[in-house]
Amino acid sequence: MDTPKILLPYNFTSYDKKALDFVCRTFSDKKGAEVTLFNAYTPAPTIEMRGSPIMEQMKNNLSYLSQRVKEQEDALHVVKNHLLGKGFSEDNIDILFDPKNRDVAGDIIDLAQAGRFNVVVLNRKPGKIARFFAGSVSSKVVAASKNTTVCIVS
Amino acid sequence: MVAEDRINMDIYKVVTRAIAASENLEDMATQLTQLLVGALGIKGSTIFVLNPATEELEALASFGLSISYMNKGPVLVKKSLDHQLIGEAIVIRDVTKTDRLQYPEDAQKEGVNAIVSLPISLHGKLIGVLRLYHYEQWDVSERDLDSLMILSENIGLALMYTRLLQALKSIKETVDEVHPIWLD
Repeated sequence: MDTPKILLPYNFTSYDKKALDFVCRTFSDKKGAEVTLFNAYTPAPTIEMRGSPIMEQMKNNLSYLSQRVKEQEDALHVVKNHLLGKGFSEDNIDILFDPKNRDVAGDIIDLAQAGRFNVVVLNRKPGKIARFFAGSVSSKVVAASKNTTVCIVS
Repeated sequence: MVAEDRINMDIYKVVTRAIAASENLEDMATQLTQLLVGALGIKGSTIFVLNPATEELEALASFGLSISYMNKGPVLVKKSLDHQLIGEAIVIRDVTKTDRLQYPEDAQKEGVNAIVSLPISLHGKLIGVLRLYHYEQWDVSERDLDSLMILSENIGLALMYTRLLQALKSIKETVDEVHPIWLD
């Protein structure tokens, strides 16, 4: 296998931690293995309301959205430190923290298809009801992946 | 003391337009929580969906609450502000004076002082909960509660609509995988 270039979407749940542990167990001893931690956040909505002060009021109240974004970014650095502690090299760990372009699955597929990654590690909570309404991220990624190894940690 | 109305028609328009404008459920739910926090000037908001198999409320979207509070443990529908009456909101105006919370210490540590919980139901069945968290004690007006109840009913409809859309997409994907040779 080529040098693993791993995309690890991370959303701070216990199942994300399981996926992280899997990456550490499986790839930390692979020479040159690269890991990119990926988190996509939903930017604040902009809704057209002409002549109404309401959006301005909301913007003021949402000013701490940027603080929350910072908190998540900091939390990704904690995960990075965990990877460092497990033997990955500093140069081989990257963090991608971006606003959502499409949806989570779509953004993961776009990143994988851009060719920078040959492994995607996802997690899947068995019996999760949110999938019933919103669809399954892992199913969408598996269905759309080409020339990529997709690992699903459950 | 008469509780102050916080939700006016402009706020209601913005929030309901967010429901109608989003193409995907995650974005709709997240933006709705952001708008509620922004419009009401509260600490946070979460939309849960009920897992009937485990009786757990699973967070579909949340805004304003810390990662550690969101990971405090499973939220069980019977232990966390049990909605025994489907059509009624639960208002906890002071979290230090209730025994209805599953994680009261975590709420206080998070800086939550009041919680409003609104059932999301469809055809008389509870399918989720909209929860609002305030950093100070909160007397919610009857009118605001009515508006929030209507909002939670709309969220229920949006949930079922997106569920049907998902089912339709799955059928389309399955049909698309049928090789044309089978249809000649």
